[in-house]
Amino acid sequence: MKLPILTIIMTTIFTGTMLTMISSHWLLIWIGLEINMLSIIPILTKNQKPRSTEAATKYFLTQATASMLLMFTIVFNAMHSGQWTTTNIDPNNMIVSLTMIIALTMKLGMTPFHFWVPEVTQGVSLMTGMLLLTWQKLAPISIMMQMFTSINPIILLLIALMSVLVGGWGGLNQTQLRKILAYSSIAHMGWMMAILTFCPSLTMLNLLIYLMLTIIMFTMLNMNTNMTTLTLSNLWNKSPTITMMILISLLSLGGLPPLTGFLPKWIIIQELTKNNNIAMATVMAIMALLNLYFYMRLIYSTSLTLFPTPNNIKMKWQFQPKKRSLFLSPLIILSTLTLPLSPVLSTLN
Amino acid sequence: MPSISINIILAFTAALLGMLMFRSHMMSSLLCLEGMMLSMFILSTLIILNMQFTTSFIMPILLLVFAACEAAIGLALLVTVSNIYGLDHIQNLNLLQC
Repeated sequence: MKLPILTIIMTTIFTGTMLTMISSHWLLIWIGLEINMLSIIPILTKNQKPRSTEAATKYFLTQATASMLLMFTIVFNAMHSGQWTTTNIDPNNMIVSLTMIIALTMKLGMTPFHFWVPEVTQGVSLMTGMLLLTWQKLAPISIMMQMFTSINPIILLLIALMSVLVGGWGGLNQTQLRKILAYSSIAHMGWMMAILTFCPSLTMLNLLIYLMLTIIMFTMLNMNTNMTTLTLSNLWNKSPTITMMILISLLSLGGLPPLTGFLPKWIIIQELTKNNNIAMATVMAIMALLNLYFYMRLIYSTSLTLFPTPNNIKMKWQFQPKKRSLFLSPLIILSTLTLPLSPVLSTLN
Repeated sequence: MPSISINIILAFTAALLGMLMFRSHMMSSLLCLEGMMLSMFILSTLIILNMQFTTSFIMPILLLVFAACEAAIGLALLVTVSNIYGLDHIQNLNLLQC
C-alpha cells in the first residue's frame, strides 16, 4: 500500500480509538468505535487474497452487530434515564446492563462471542494480526473501565470464566501460531475482565503487560515470518538469539513466577480472594495451566530439541535481519524481568 | 413504556435476529444491519423530540451518516467476496476453519 494512504488510514485508526477514550458522551464513544472499525477494514484486506477477504468479512459482520447493539443500549439508556453520560448508567435496568456487556464483549472477542478471533487473526498477516489483538482492545476496555460501577458482576464473572476456559482448551489443538496467539488473547481478556468490577486498575496492569508481551511475540515471529510450529522448529539454525527470546517471552505470557507475566495473575488472584471469590480464583489459576501447556509445546519444539554438543549439521550464515523490529530489546526486558519492581505498584494511587 | 417504543424495539430485535441467523446470502445480513440502523434512527428521533432534548437533535443524523459509511464498506466487502467466489453464499467462507 502506498505510504500516504497507509499514513492516513493509520491516523484514522488512532483517531477513532482516541475519540472513544477521551469522551464521556455515549454518541462520541460510538462514533469513535465506528471510525476505528471502518478504517481497519482496508488494513485487513491489504494483501488481496481470499483468506484476507474472508477474515475482513467476518470481522466486519461481528463488529457491526456489536456497534448496533451498543447503539440500542445507548438509546434505551437515554430513554430511561434521560442523559447521555457514561458514568451514570442505571445498574438496576436489566436490559441496559445485559446488552451493554454483550455488545462490549462482542467487540473484545470474549466467550460466547469469541468465534471470530482465531479465524480473523489467521487470515491476515502477522503485523496486522498484532494490530488487531492489541490496538483494537484499547477502545472497548476503556469504555468498560469508565462504567465499571454499573456492570452486573455476576454476568461479567461468568463471561470471564468462560473466556479463560475456552482460551485454554481452544488453543490445545492448534499448530498455527496466529491462532495460538488469538486463543491466548481470549484467555487474557478473561483474566482482565474477572477483576474489573473489583479493582479496575488491575485490569489496566494486566492490559499493559499483555500488550507488551503480544507485541514482542508478533515482532519476533515476524522476523523470520514464522507462522506454523514447523517453521518455528527450524529457527535455531537461522537466529539462535530469537529462539531464546521466544522461550522467555512465551514463559512470561504463560505466567511463570520469576517473569513479569506472573505479576498480573498473582495480584488478580489476591484481589479475588480478598473479595471471597476463592472458587473463581482457583478455577482460573488451574485453567492457566492449559495455556502454559501449549506454550510449552512451542518451546519444546523450538529450543528444547537442540543438540547439546557441536555437531555435523551445517549452520546457516546469519545475515543482518532485514525486517525492522522496533523497541525489541527494551520490550523484552520490560516484559520478562520486571517482577522485582512489583512493590512499586503500592506507591501508585 | 409507550407502545410505540415497544414496537420499534421489537423491530430492532427482529432485525438483530435476522442478522444473527442467516441462511445463504450475505446480502440479507447487510440488509438486517440497515434495518437495525433504521429502527434506531426512528427510536432516537422519537425520544429526542418527545423529551425536547434540543442539543441532541444532531444525533440521529450522525447515526445515519456513520451507518451509511458502514453499509458502503459492507457492500464493498460483498463485491470482493462475489468477485472471488461468484456468489455471496456464506458457506463459501470456509477457508479459515480451525
